[in-house]
Amino acid sequence: MVQQQHQPTGGKRDPGGDPVPELPDLSWIDKTLGWGIKARVEPFGGGMTVDALNIGVYAEVPDHIPFRNRLPRGAYPAPGAGSIGGYYLQDKHEQWADCAGRLYEEAISRRWSTATDIPWETAHGLNDDVELAICQLATELSQHASVETEVISGWLQNLSPGYHEVKLFLSTATYDSARMFEGYRKRAMVNGGGMMLESPGGMNRAILETYAGWSQTVLGMWFVRNSLDTTILRYLAAYGPTEADRALAARLIPDRMRAAAYATDHIRFAISKKPELAIGFQVWLGGVEYAQARDLRDPVLTEALAIIFGRGVAGMDDGMTVVRRLLQDFVKTYLSRCKQANLDRSKSLSGSFQVMLSGMPAPPRPQA
Amino acid sequence: MATEAKPEKYITSFQQLMEEGRKNGYRLDWLLPRETFGARIDSDPDAGGLLLQDIDRGPFAEIPDWSNNMSGRPRGSLTRANAARVGNYSIRTKGDIWLKNASQLYEEAVQRQWSSAVDVPWETMEELPDDIERAECQLATFLTEVEFVAGDVPGKWISQTTPDYYEPRMFLISQIMDEARHMDVFRKRAFANGGGLMSQTTNVALSGGAIDSARDFTEMSARLHISGEGLVLSIFRMGERMSYNAAEKAIYRLAASDESRHVAFGVMHLQYLSQTDPQRKEEIHSYLDEIELGLIAGTGGQNPAQRGTPSSAALAILLGGGSDPTLMAEGAQIALAVRQRQVKEYVQRVKVAGLGERFENGRANATLAAYVSA
Repeated sequence: MVQQQHQPTGGKRDPGGDPVPELPDLSWIDKTLGWGIKARVEPFGGGMTVDALNIGVYAEVPDHIPFRNRLPRGAYPAPGAGSIGGYYLQDKHEQWADCAGRLYEEAISRRWSTATDIPWETAHGLNDDVELAICQLATELSQHASVETEVISGWLQNLSPGYHEVKLFLSTATYDSARMFEGYRKRAMVNGGGMMLESPGGMNRAILETYAGWSQTVLGMWFVRNSLDTTILRYLAAYGPTEADRALAARLIPDRMRAAAYATDHIRFAISKKPELAIGFQVWLGGVEYAQARDLRDPVLTEALAIIFGRGVAGMDDGMTVVRRLLQDFVKTYLSRCKQANLDRSKSLSGSFQVMLSGMPAPPRPQA
Repeated sequence: MATEAKPEKYITSFQQLMEEGRKNGYRLDWLLPRETFGARIDSDPDAGGLLLQDIDRGPFAEIPDWSNNMSGRPRGSLTRANAARVGNYSIRTKGDIWLKNASQLYEEAVQRQWSSAVDVPWETMEELPDDIERAECQLATFLTEVEFVAGDVPGKWISQTTPDYYEPRMFLISQIMDEARHMDVFRKRAFANGGGLMSQTTNVALSGGAIDSARDFTEMSARLHISGEGLVLSIFRMGERMSYNAAEKAIYRLAASDESRHVAFGVMHLQYLSQTDPQRKEEIHSYLDEIELGLIAGTGGQNPAQRGTPSSAALAILLGGGSDPTLMAEGAQIALAVRQRQVKEYVQRVKVAGLGERFENGRANATLAAYVSA
């Protein structure tokens, strides 16, 4: 049995002259909501996972966290601990996804480095026009990723620590986005091409200006933008002009897909708890589709892709055929995510997206 | 190694290319080589591969003292006149966040990522005496709580920093990743051996907000990196002494490696600022005055060894070997030595940061000297 009473102060003093208690106060030693919990290591090699800790009283993930401080879920609340500010998203439906813990562990297990895991020595020797097109694409993808890092990291202080699985996953998502940013910056610089023209910015704005809530941010960033970026990466993984380009894209796809998995799971969960949210989400997506379509009407990105897939300016017509297929796949991917989240957009898809889905020439060419 | 850029030779061929493309109806006005085009960078796999610090060339390496980048464009990219001003960046002055080695620290963080699931030998844990297990779990609960601070607060500043200063942003993102793992690993420790979470620490809940509330990045960094993380680092470095199995030793060793980078970031940023903007030194000293008060009086809430807290009592049990009064008294003595070490390491960090004059001119809290000489 452990002694718990506070010990009287004796004559000892610390270097600062303050009195030192004979023995520390042990009144905390039985302050626990659940004792005798033993988490198990995964039997088939996954190690000790974060989801494995959700046992006994600690398995309950409440619908609302009443504290706006950093109380770890399941810890014994300190008396008098109040709000420290921030953490105003205190409801489960505002952030939760059942898969967040698993995605976090997967992200950790798939760690890689752009410095050492990409065969950069193969990234040289392209024709100048293709190299420049790659640099333009790298500039835009790098900027997309940079915006993502700003958005996710900015939201972390608003998401309650009571749903730590979400915070853990989003930490990996920020890190993944940072890796995409620096991976494409390195790609742009490896032959000196460097950063070219910044992206049009309409989608950046749609993602950044989401005061409405985290779920709306998720819709813009990981339903729409991520669907486009992932589709571009899939095409690059298959048709990239160098081994380095293909390897970089292939490495990034699982990172993007984890974000997509969280996004669909979260939106599905939110709608399951509050079905009325679907109405607002539909309206929101309509606005985001408009922003994305407007960005794509600017020809820079599609021209760069056409040069890459056409293997040069001379092959741009062939390349543009591939681009139209890419955009078609982008909209299909987007619609699929919406459907998985119980947010069917097939009947309310914006006109520009319908054009892309049809495979018709989406970006109108300027007159020669 | 990079070769010379020869942009001139490309101009003619690109004009021809653009004309050809335009004839086919494409715009292609963006298809223009930049100043460094053709300057190939060869990475050396034996020297760490293609590192962030290797790719700085030409205009892309020019870090402005003041950034007017409001559209969030990557540094060095060409601007669009119609781009929206979405960058609500409060940090657009280089000295406010810069340090000389952020790229290196970021790349090191990437190389040293680890997994709390599989890189800790959880299977080595055996049942511990109840008081030891409770002390382990109390310390783990405390560390889980404070690691939220170290992850969430940098996040706010990343989103407020212009991408022209992407290197410190990248490092701070790696810190968020590290802190997530620390939060996770200490939570795992609480559940790994038949225990559970213990008590929230009142002064963390109440005082943790001091780091959140900082309105200036350097103030935040001094509070978080120099003070808070520095104090925790000293504890992690004592991990060998207070561990009861290989799993705990691994946790402290791995976490200390991460925490060292975070502290290094704070020291190097403060050093850069004190060298390039000495007019701000007096302001920084005033932050350090408050930090030192927290160091001595425990007002910061970040110090697990702060006397009178559950975590310091837990340390006394762990360092002494049990809750028996004799053992605990011995542990408390060792914990006092830990506090002395914390103070000495803090003093050293401030000196390296270029603010060591406060220890010569009487500005520093007098109690620090007593700790150092004790």
